[in-house]
Amino acid sequence: MADLASYFEQVGKTALLTKEQEVLLSQRIEKGDRQARDHMIQANLRLAISIAKKYQHSGCSLEDLIQESSMGLIKAVDRFDWRKGFKFSTYACWWIKQAVRKHVASHSGSIKLPTHAKNLLWKIQTTSKEYEEEFGVSPTMEELSDLLGVKKATLESIIMSSRWTMSLDKEIGNKNEGGSRTLKEVIPDNKESFELSLDKAKVSQIIREAFAHLSPREEKVLRLRFGIDELADPQSDFYLTQEEISSINKRSK
Amino acid sequence: MSMPKGYQSENGYATVSSEEGCMGYREIAEKMTEEGDKMNHSTARNVFLRAMEKLAGPLCKVYGSQNSSTMARDPRFQSCMQEIIEDFGVDI
Repeated sequence: MADLASYFEQVGKTALLTKEQEVLLSQRIEKGDRQARDHMIQANLRLAISIAKKYQHSGCSLEDLIQESSMGLIKAVDRFDWRKGFKFSTYACWWIKQAVRKHVASHSGSIKLPTHAKNLLWKIQTTSKEYEEEFGVSPTMEELSDLLGVKKATLESIIMSSRWTMSLDKEIGNKNEGGSRTLKEVIPDNKESFELSLDKAKVSQIIREAFAHLSPREEKVLRLRFGIDELADPQSDFYLTQEEISSINKRSK
Repeated sequence: MSMPKGYQSENGYATVSSEEGCMGYREIAEKMTEEGDKMNHSTARNVFLRAMEKLAGPLCKVYGSQNSSTMARDPRFQSCMQEIIEDFGVDI
């Protein structure tokens, strides 16, 4: 941490550049001036640090993030075109963000998500935050899908994959107060017991068999009493074609 | 006026007909009569109880409990049957 503090102090010593200075330095960089390139990088390291800090809760160390953002900054210095008339910081922040996000995507969490999925996840979070600020409620999955132009299923899958994982063997509770238990020991098993399921299956079987012994009249009354629908298509019980059924109907008339 | 002693069922009355889609004996009798099987509410009840007895019989044999006639009249058994048959769906 002390190293980082001294690094911040050192970075802070270089003055920020004006737009004119940026153009002059860029022109010198184009001619191959190494000193100008170093100066441009030094003067913009604060931008790289500030962007890296925004990602420090993503599961990566700040030192690594600063290193990656600095790499992004160097790329931006090498590719900056002063003729387009933009300020360097406007152009550089995209390269820095891209470098940091790429690093975060490949180094955080136990489930590795592809970079495009991480980027989409980032967009989901940002969009949700903006939506909440504007409307005071979280957006539904359908609304997010419309806003981002991505399928709902894709969104759900990415959100599901990005969830934090936790070890079942993780100890919970205070060790000093009579030992601790693991997470798997306190997760309840909501499934019914094996004996109960066997018993239910047996009862179901008996009732099914008993049902076969009911007369049609008894079955009808039972269904009416219990509010159970009858088979939608009684013809499905008989192996007759539609033509045969209509012929029987005609004859009965 | 208080209820005469011995008339109230030991375990209360079956209330399945108060649930959605379920019918009382009079409604069943009307419906069956409409469909050509003429019967009154008492017959509807008798037919229903006979069906319940047929279901209760094999269960009584397996579990060695009370006779099927008593079990068929028990509202708890009737509610239980209703739940089980509902679980089977239409394909009984």
